[in-house]
Amino acid sequence: MNALRPEETATLEAAALRIRQDILRMVRAGGAGHVGGAMSCADIMAAHYFSILRIDPAKPNWPDRDRLILSAGHKCMALYAALRQRGYFDESILDTYGALKSRVPGHPVMQKLPGVEANTGALGHGLSIAGGMAMGLKLKKSPAKVYVVMGDGELAEGSNWEAAAAASHHKLDNLLVFVDCNGLQLSGPTADIMNYSPLAAKWAAFGWSVRTIDGHDFGQIVGNAREAPFEAGKPSIVIANTVKAKGISFAEAKVDYHYWKPKADEMARAVAELEAAAVEGLKA
Amino acid sequence: MREFKDPRVGFGNALLAAAQKDDRILALSADSSGSSGMTPFRKQFPDRHIEFGIMEQGIVGYASGLATTGWIPFFSAIAPFVTARPFEMFRNDLGYMNQNVKVVGRNAGLTYSDLGATHQSLDDVAILRTIPGVTIVCPGDPVEIERAVQAAVVHQGPMYIRIGAPSIPVLHPADVEFKLGKGIVMMEGSDVTIIATGTALWRAYDAAEILRSKGIKARLISMHTIKPIDRELICAAALETPAIVTVEEHYLVGGLGSAVADILGCMPGPHAPLKMIGVDDQYASNGPYDELLGLYGLLAEQIVSTVEGFIGRKMPRS
Repeated sequence: MNALRPEETATLEAAALRIRQDILRMVRAGGAGHVGGAMSCADIMAAHYFSILRIDPAKPNWPDRDRLILSAGHKCMALYAALRQRGYFDESILDTYGALKSRVPGHPVMQKLPGVEANTGALGHGLSIAGGMAMGLKLKKSPAKVYVVMGDGELAEGSNWEAAAAASHHKLDNLLVFVDCNGLQLSGPTADIMNYSPLAAKWAAFGWSVRTIDGHDFGQIVGNAREAPFEAGKPSIVIANTVKAKGISFAEAKVDYHYWKPKADEMARAVAELEAAAVEGLKA
Repeated sequence: MREFKDPRVGFGNALLAAAQKDDRILALSADSSGSSGMTPFRKQFPDRHIEFGIMEQGIVGYASGLATTGWIPFFSAIAPFVTARPFEMFRNDLGYMNQNVKVVGRNAGLTYSDLGATHQSLDDVAILRTIPGVTIVCPGDPVEIERAVQAAVVHQGPMYIRIGAPSIPVLHPADVEFKLGKGIVMMEGSDVTIIATGTALWRAYDAAEILRSKGIKARLISMHTIKPIDRELICAAALETPAIVTVEEHYLVGGLGSAVADILGCMPGPHAPLKMIGVDDQYASNGPYDELLGLYGLLAEQIVSTVEGFIGRKMPRS
C-alpha cells in the first residue's frame, strides 16, 4: 500500500529528519537522553504531526482536536521536536533540555508545554488515559480520534492489558495505537527480558483489530492510520516494526543507545550523518 | 431520637441529585456500583454510568482521560482498591495532571471488619496526603456526605472522599455551614478540644457529650477536610484549650492526628499538647465492627477515658 504521493512522502521524510536533528540538539543541550526510542519512533511521530492528526497549533485546547498520547514518555524528545516543528512553541526551548525547570523535561508535562496531552513517563499509563479520552469524546459525539504511541518493552506493564480490555469492551473504535516495536529495551532484547510475542495474537485476543507494518514506511503508517478503525466497533492497533536509534548508523539496533550519553566524537559523527541525509534530501 | 443512615446510600443519592443538575457527571464502577450506592444513578442515567469490572488501576487512568474531555467522573469502590492499589495512577494521572476526578473510597477504615487487613483501609489518607493538589474529605455524618458531594462538583481538581459502610447518625442540622478546608465547631468548650473526622466522628461526638455530662467542657471539631486542613482552627484550639485529642479510624501515621501534629510541631510558643487516637503500627485484626473498634480504643467510652487520662481529670458523673 502507498497512500502517499511522492511529494507527501518527501515532506514527511524531511519532517522526520528534522525531528532526528532536533533530538540530537536536545541531547547536546542536556548531555544525554533516551535517544534510541526517540529515533525509532521519529517517523511515526512525523507521520502523525504532519499528516494524520487533525490539530491546530494555534488552538491547542480545541475540544475536537485529535489527541496523541505518547505512552512511552521517555521518547519525548521526538514529541517535542514534532510539536516545535508544527509551531506549538519556539525552537529555542529545545536548547533548555536538561536545564533546571526546563519546559522540555525528560518526560513530558502538559502544564509546561502546549500540545502535550498527558504527563507520561511512568510506563503503562498512557493507554488508560487515552482510552478515557476516546470514551469521553465518543460520549460527546466528537469526531476526534485518539492516537497512542507505545513501546514494545512497555507492554510488560500489566495496566496496559486492563486498558486494552476496557477499550475493546467499550468499543472504542476512535482509538488507534502504534506500538513502536524496536525489539530492544533498557537491558536487552525485549524477547529475552519478558517475551510478549506473539504480540499481534495477544492484541487480537483482547478484541483489537491488529495490523503489522514497517514503522519506517510513511505510506504504511499514514495509509493504515487513514483506514482506522480497521473494523467498526473495535479499537485498532498497528504493530510498527522499527529500528532502535534509527538514523544514526553506528547506534542502530544496539541496546547501548537506549539512553545515550554521547562522547564528543560520537555526537559529531551523528550530526554529520543527519546533515548528509539532509543534503541528500535537498538534492532529491 | 437519632436518625441513622447508610453512608453509601447517602453518597449515591447525593450523586444522583447532583447529576440531575449537572450533565457532566459520570459514575465509574469497578463491579461494585450497587454496593457503592450508585444503583439509582445507574437506573436513571445508564449512559453516564460506565462499568469497567475489577480493574481499579486502569479506571483511574480512564477517569483522567474522561476528565480531560470535560466530564466529571466519580469513581467509587472499596477504599484500598481506589487508593493503595492504583496509587501511582492517582498520583500521576489525577494529581500530576490535575484532573477533575472525584474518587470515593467506601467501606473505609475498619468497616470491612471481618474481611481483615486486605479490605480495611487505614492508610488511604496517609498516602493520598503526599499528592500535591488532592483535596481529601472524610465526611462524618450523612449531612456532611451530601455536602461533600455537592462541594466536589463545584471544586475544580482531584478529590478523595472517604466514607464507611455501617449506618451513622445525623449530627448536623441540614443547613450547617460546610466549606472545604474549614472544620466545623460542633460544641464549644474550654477544657479540651476533640478533633475527629469521618467514620470516627459520631463516637467522638458521643464521647464529648459524656465528658460534658461529667463537667468536662469539651470542644468538638468535625475536621471533615484533611487536606487542605484548617490550620487556623487547630491553632486557635491549641491556644484556647489546654489539650487536643484527635480521633480517627485510620493509622496514626499520616492521618488526621499526624496532620494536626504537623501544625502543632511547628507552632511557636506554649500551646496545648496532643494525644492521637487511632490504629498504631500494625495490621488490624478481624471480627465484628464494634469489637474491632474496641481493640483500638475507638468506642465512645474509651475515647472518654483516654481524654480524661490525658487531661488528668476524672470527674464522677453528676
